[in-house]
Amino acid sequence: MKKLLAATALLAVAGLGLAACSSSDSGDTAGGPVTLTFWHGYTEADGDVLQGIVDDFNASQSEVTIEPEVKTWAVIDDTLLTALSADEGPDIVAMPAERLPVYASKGAFRDLTDFYASDDSNTAELNPQAVDMETVDGTVYGVPTGFVPLAVYYNKALFAAAGVTEFPTTWDEWVAAAEKLTVDENGDGTPEQYGMVLPDHATVANGVWPSLFYGNGGDIVEDGTTAVIDSPENAETLEYWSDAVATKKISPTGVDGVGADELFSSGKVAMTIGGPWMSSIAAENSIDYGIAAIPAGPAEQAASAIGVSMGITAQAGDAEAAAAETFFSYFFEPEVATAWSLGSGWPPLRTDIPAADVESNPTVAALTEISGTSRALLPGVVNSSDVLTEMDVVTQKALAGDDIASLLKDAQTAIQTTLDDQ
Amino acid sequence: MTASDTRPARRYRPPGQLGGRGPIGGQAKRRLTIAGFLLPALAILVLFVFWPMLSALRLSFTDASGFGQEEFIGLDNYVEVFSDPNILRAMGNTVLYTVMFTPLAVILALVLAMALNSPRLPLRGMFRTWLFLPFIVSLAVAAFAWQYLLDPQVGLVNYWLQTFGIRIGNVLQDPVLAMPTVVVVAVWKNFAFYMIVFLAGLQDIPSSLYEAAKMDGAGPWSRFRNITLPLLNNTTGFVLIIATIAALQAFDQIYVMTGGGPYRSTQTVVMQIYQSGFKDLELGFASALSYVLLVATLILSLVQFFFTGRREKDTA
Repeated sequence: MKKLLAATALLAVAGLGLAACSSSDSGDTAGGPVTLTFWHGYTEADGDVLQGIVDDFNASQSEVTIEPEVKTWAVIDDTLLTALSADEGPDIVAMPAERLPVYASKGAFRDLTDFYASDDSNTAELNPQAVDMETVDGTVYGVPTGFVPLAVYYNKALFAAAGVTEFPTTWDEWVAAAEKLTVDENGDGTPEQYGMVLPDHATVANGVWPSLFYGNGGDIVEDGTTAVIDSPENAETLEYWSDAVATKKISPTGVDGVGADELFSSGKVAMTIGGPWMSSIAAENSIDYGIAAIPAGPAEQAASAIGVSMGITAQAGDAEAAAAETFFSYFFEPEVATAWSLGSGWPPLRTDIPAADVESNPTVAALTEISGTSRALLPGVVNSSDVLTEMDVVTQKALAGDDIASLLKDAQTAIQTTLDDQ
Repeated sequence: MTASDTRPARRYRPPGQLGGRGPIGGQAKRRLTIAGFLLPALAILVLFVFWPMLSALRLSFTDASGFGQEEFIGLDNYVEVFSDPNILRAMGNTVLYTVMFTPLAVILALVLAMALNSPRLPLRGMFRTWLFLPFIVSLAVAAFAWQYLLDPQVGLVNYWLQTFGIRIGNVLQDPVLAMPTVVVVAVWKNFAFYMIVFLAGLQDIPSSLYEAAKMDGAGPWSRFRNITLPLLNNTTGFVLIIATIAALQAFDQIYVMTGGGPYRSTQTVVMQIYQSGFKDLELGFASALSYVLLVATLILSLVQFFFTGRREKDTA
C-alpha cells in the first residue's frame, strides 16, 4: 500500500512536470490578428535595419504582428531543434543558407512552392542563384534574406608600398601580386608580411576552396546528389595553389577563416577572401581597403556565395503561414529590398534594382558589381556539413603536401557515401 | 513570565520516532516522512535523468529527427555505429584521449598532492590555492586562452620556444600533435580536482604508520609503496573512475580548441553525438551512439571498481 502510495505520488509529480513542459502555444487565433515570432541572427547594425523593416510592416497593416527575437546564428542552430520538437519554436526563422536543407529534409519547414508561384509574392525578380539555396529535391522551403559573393579585400597601403597599382584579374596575376606583397625582412624564410592568406580549412562561409574549384571548371557536388570532387580540374587547382603556398610562400599555412580575418585586420597580410563584414573590420582597424572580385581562374570567374535564408516552420498553422508569406512579400518590395541591402551591406536580392540605387553604400555598390559571379554553395545538399568536412580534409592535407590524387579519390568516396545516406 | 512557562515540560522523544504515537503507526508515518523528503529529489531524477534516458533508448531504435516523423528501424542505428568509419575513428580518438589523459592527470595529481601534504613544504596554503586555480577557471575561457597561447602567429608558447630555437608550428592543426596538445591542456585544467581528493585521502593516513616504518628503516619509496599506495586504494579507485568517465565524455574544451580537427583527429564520441544530433538532426542515431558510450563507460567503471575492490581485499 505504502509503495503504491509513493509510486502514485511520484507519478503525479512527474506528470505535473511533464504537463508543464508540454504546454502548447500555437498562437492560432481564428480570424483575428496573427502574431508571429521570428528568430534571426542579425545582431549588428543590420539587426537595427531589420527591426525597422519589421516595425514598418507591423504599422502598415493590422492583421499581422511580427515579433523578432534576436539570437546569434549559432544559438539558433543549437536550439531550433529542441524548440520545434517541444512546439515552442518560432513561426519564422532565419539561418545560414547551407543549414536550411537539413532542416527542410526532416520536415521542419513548410513548402513554399505555391507562395513562389503567386504573382504578388514579389519573388519573380529574386536572384535565381539565391533561390537555388532554398530548394531541396525540387521543392522550395525558404526565401533568401542575404546572398553575397565572397570577394577579395585588400590593403591599399600595402599595395602602394609594394608598387602594385592594378588589382589582378587572373590567378597568375594574383599569385604574382601576392609574391610582390610578401616581405621577409630578416631573410629567415618566414615572411613578416604575406601577400595573401589562403586558409586551408573552415574558410569563410566554407567558400574559399569552392570558389577556386569553380574558377578552374571543377565542382564538389552536382545536382545535390552526385559527388564530383575527384576531377582533373580540382587536382590542377589544388596543385596550383599548394605550389604557390609551399614554394612561393605567399600565404601562411594552417590558417582557418577566423584566423584569416585576424591576419588581415592586423595588417600582416595584404589580401584576404572574405564577406561584407570585412569592410567594418578593416575600418575599425584603420585599414584603407579595397574590394575586388576573386580573380578569374583558367575556366571562369566565380565566387561561392554566403547566403542567409528564412523559412516558415512546420509548427506554424495555416493562418500563421499565410501571415508570414504576407511579410515575405513585403520584404521583397523594391523599396524595402533596397533599404535592406543598404542597411545590411549586402547586395540587393532582386536583380532589377540598379546599382545606382545602392551607390550611397560603397561596399554594397562594389559587391553588387561583382554579384554576377556568385554561385550558391552546395545547393540542395542535406548533409552539407559532412561534405564540407571532407572538403576541408582534402584542402588541409593537400596544402600540407599529401598526395592530391589519393586525397581526391578518398574524398569522392566519402562524399558520395554521405550523399547516398541523406 | 509567560503562560507557557507553567506548562509541564515536554517529554523527550527518542530519535527514530518522528511524530509517531504508537510503534505501528509511527513506523508508517516515519516511512512517509522519509518518502516526502526523497520525493523532490526523486522527481527531479525521474524528470531529468530517467525519463530522458528511457526516451533516448526508445529513440535509438527509430530514425527520429525531433520533428515528429519517426519510424521504428530496429537495430539499424546500432549497426551503423559499428560500421561508419567516422564513428569508429571517433571511438579510437576517445580511447586514445582516455589512455593519455587518465594516467597523466592521476599521476600528476598524486605527485602534487604528496608534495602539498609534506609538512616541510613552505607556503603550503599558497601553493594549494595556486595549483587549484586552473580548475576554477571557466572551461571555455581556458580553452580560448590556450588557443591564443599556442597560436603560431601571436602565441606566447611559440614565441618562447622560438627563443630556444624550437619551432612547433601550429600544434592545434597538426594531425599528430593536436591530440596530445588538447590532452595536456585538459590535464592542466583538471588535475587540481583529483589532487584535492588525493590530499584528503593522504590526510586520513595516520602519521604514526610512517614513523613506525621509518624506525624500521623503510626508505621513502618503500613507505610510498607499502603505506601510501595501499591506504590510498579507495581514493585512487575513485579518482581513476571519475577521471576515466571525464575523459570518455570529453567534449567542450576540444570543441573550442580544435572543433574536432584537423582531419577529425580530435573528434571524440561525444562530439560525434553532438554532430549527429544537432547538426545532422539524426536524433535516433545520436541516441544509439549515446547508449554505446554509456555501456562502454559502465563496463569500464565496473572493471575498475572490481580491480580496486580486489586490491583492497588483498591488502586488507
